[in-house]
Amino acid sequence: MSADPALRFEHVTIAFPGAEGPLKVVNDVSFAVGSGQCLVIVGESGSGKSMACQALLGIVPAPGAVSGQGIFWEGRDLLKSSARDWMKVRGAEIAMVFQDPAAALNPLMPVGRQIVDVVRAHRSVTRAEAERRAIEVLNQVGFPEPERRMRAYPIELSGGLRQRVAIALALACGPKLIVADEATTNLDVSIQAQIIGLLRSLKEELGISIVFVTHDLGLAPEIGDEVLVMYAGHAVERGPVREVLDRPSHPYTIGLLNSAPTLESSRAHPLKPIPGQVPALDEIGAGAPFRSRCPVVVSGRCDSAKPDWTACGGGHFVACHRFAQDGIGGVQ
Amino acid sequence: MTAILEGRNIVKTFTTRRGGQKHEVRAVGDVTVAADRGEIVGLVGESGCGKTTFSRILIGIETASSGTVLHDGKPVATKADWKALRRDVQYVFQDPYTSLCPTMRIGEALAEPLLVHGIGDKSERAERVREALSLVGLQGFIADRLPSQLSGGQRQRVSLARALMIRPRVLICDEIVSGLDVSVQAQVLTLLTELQASLGLSLIFISHDLRVIRYLCDRVVVMYRGEIVEQGPVERVFGAPESDYTRGLLAAIPDHSRRGEPRLGLRPAGHEGARLA
Amino acid sequence: MTTVTAIAMQAPRPAPHRAWRAALNPPIVIGAAILGLAILSAVLAPVIAPYGPTTIDLSAVRKPPSFAHFFGTDGVGRDVFSRVLYGGRVSLTVAGIGMIGSLAFGTAMGLLGAFGNRFVEVAVSRLIDIQLAFPYVLLAIAVTSAVRPSIPVLILLMVLAGWAGAARVVRGIALQERGKDYVKAAAVLGVPKMRVALKHVLPTIIPSLIVLAAMQMAAMIVFEATLSFLGMGVQPPTPSWGGIMLDGKNYITSAWWMTALPGVALVLTSLALVLIGDGLQRRFNAKGVR
Repeated sequence: MSADPALRFEHVTIAFPGAEGPLKVVNDVSFAVGSGQCLVIVGESGSGKSMACQALLGIVPAPGAVSGQGIFWEGRDLLKSSARDWMKVRGAEIAMVFQDPAAALNPLMPVGRQIVDVVRAHRSVTRAEAERRAIEVLNQVGFPEPERRMRAYPIELSGGLRQRVAIALALACGPKLIVADEATTNLDVSIQAQIIGLLRSLKEELGISIVFVTHDLGLAPEIGDEVLVMYAGHAVERGPVREVLDRPSHPYTIGLLNSAPTLESSRAHPLKPIPGQVPALDEIGAGAPFRSRCPVVVSGRCDSAKPDWTACGGGHFVACHRFAQDGIGGVQ
Repeated sequence: MTAILEGRNIVKTFTTRRGGQKHEVRAVGDVTVAADRGEIVGLVGESGCGKTTFSRILIGIETASSGTVLHDGKPVATKADWKALRRDVQYVFQDPYTSLCPTMRIGEALAEPLLVHGIGDKSERAERVREALSLVGLQGFIADRLPSQLSGGQRQRVSLARALMIRPRVLICDEIVSGLDVSVQAQVLTLLTELQASLGLSLIFISHDLRVIRYLCDRVVVMYRGEIVEQGPVERVFGAPESDYTRGLLAAIPDHSRRGEPRLGLRPAGHEGARLA
Repeated sequence: MTTVTAIAMQAPRPAPHRAWRAALNPPIVIGAAILGLAILSAVLAPVIAPYGPTTIDLSAVRKPPSFAHFFGTDGVGRDVFSRVLYGGRVSLTVAGIGMIGSLAFGTAMGLLGAFGNRFVEVAVSRLIDIQLAFPYVLLAIAVTSAVRPSIPVLILLMVLAGWAGAARVVRGIALQERGKDYVKAAAVLGVPKMRVALKHVLPTIIPSLIVLAAMQMAAMIVFEATLSFLGMGVQPPTPSWGGIMLDGKNYITSAWWMTALPGVALVLTSLALVLIGDGLQRRFNAKGVR
């Protein structure tokens, strides 16, 4: 992580009103992304990863409330800035790519014109200049024959091409950060590989920072520099991708890795699923979020206090009482 | 040994009209797949490769344009043949949210196949429902619930239990773990292997996820645009793929167990390849 | 479209709590209040009504509304208010039976049209088309010229006129449901088609049937009034809203109350039912059921 990260998400909590007090879908989560870096947020459904992204863009749906020390973008606290200022940042400096490109594109408008509109909404340029910009970004995302095919409607394009257009749309105003929420989840593996490759080259060649949200740990080493593992609204482990994948230190991360089949796995070496289910948010209370399914609970601590971050070396941190007490040997 | 279930030379074409002209789209072109006793056959390919259509033809939800479905070596032709086939072969759908009747309690939904086949009396059926629930690792009280009160993983277990109620010999599973979280997926995969071992079940397992196929299957059939491009034992197909398509597919799989540099690359992929400014 | 709107267009995640949505909406409350009043006054007619519905008082003929006669009196001095109350009993009962009958027959036909074999499917959908294209008043004239009009005949006419609308709605939904995986799953498990229709699909249609029932009831009240007004429905001296209006038809310029006030009762009641139907529809939509 660079000394002065472009984005700092500091102790942010997102709560929705519940029957018995607020339900924290994101609970005191912090992370930072350096410029030209990629942070991968990994979590299963209900982990709060998508909600964190939405907070980043100021689009948490009502009646959700975002609180915390701040969301700092290049030194400015977005949480404290007005809706107008935030809107200027959003789209121009921070852009988002969604899981479903069909939902992000207007089905009744040619894709080229949608990009032109975005450019003209944020910059005072002529239509011809905006069109040149549209062709430029479509070229950047590997959209074939943009001059001709930009007149196509979304429905005429394949899923992979649509996601490319969605990324071009995000790129149109030259953002410094792209938030990709499950952007490759519904795509075929070969298309997914192309989109990942595209995002990686945007990062490496244009220096764009990326927050990549996924449920698939396997994608982390393909694109990420850092990874943040989330569980039931809590951040449980973070660090450089290879560090975390090679030395997973939180029982949940270990469980997740043991659950995911790889190209080397077979029935001869059975998967070890995590028993049980994700607890309801109001069942977590004051203790460690994973305690109800954890094989190495520290009795007396896990059910009463949230674990603090413990350093595991190499910029790798884990929030686990067992690790804090017994080190890596305790969790494995 | 004759296979319990075989689709032989299955072809499925759809006709579409575009601009007044008829177009024939070949969804499945001359595909033959057989399931032997106790074997897990994987059917893998990207969207639109015809794997789901083929599997639906095997159970008669869709009809083939040409080709034969064989049940214990005999062609399935009449209504009675299909009925007999469905006593032996069952199907689990991809989406656990739409494949259970929303207004029927789980217990009733599980008992229904027994009821319509006239198996057992009321108390025997209730007993079989309890057995089936525990077989798929669910507690008895689930029987009183509605599908909307269950999680995706629980629903998929119920779908499995329901397909197993009449004790089929072959189970066709269409992408049944794709919509599930990784940890839930692992639970269902583990359950499938246990069921396969304890019941001697044959599985035809359809998935787009090569990691899941590699883990679960004995034999794999790789499909592309309605045709089989490669088939064989998983170790062989994954270890030494013969077709370029399989090799490309394998290279595109994100895999956290791989060491060193990321391998997902921008391979030349025709006009879709990225050109970076 | 800008990125900003693109963001706003994202499908909202299901909020953890949306119990507030279950609150009753104003149309249902207002509709239920009016309908409740109509039913209550019909049930309590013998208690509330100041006069008998058929009591003739030739000393008070065609009197305008007053404290003695809230709705005035008719051509033979019968109290219109009392007649409207008693007429409500007949009108609501007849319409209710007609609604249930047409809905039951329509639902059965709709399910048959979606789950029958190919021949039955085509036959049912043609029958629906023919029925919907056939003017029901013409049908009523044809029938009542053959048999003497009476309440059972009226109800039969209601079923004949109303089933097709219900059948079309039910068939449409059932066809949609038939394409869903749970129906296919049942077929694969060997569940007979008609059992699928009754045990799986019918319960999912019930919310729509409830909405349909309210709308159908409103239509049936108007239908009864129309036919009675044309002399083909409820026969005098039994009071019904349409019949009362018929009695006043010849005096509409001089004694407006004889037709207008029963008309108000009719309009308010059917409006209440439409409001209820509309409100329920909105509630079911909000809850994600049809």
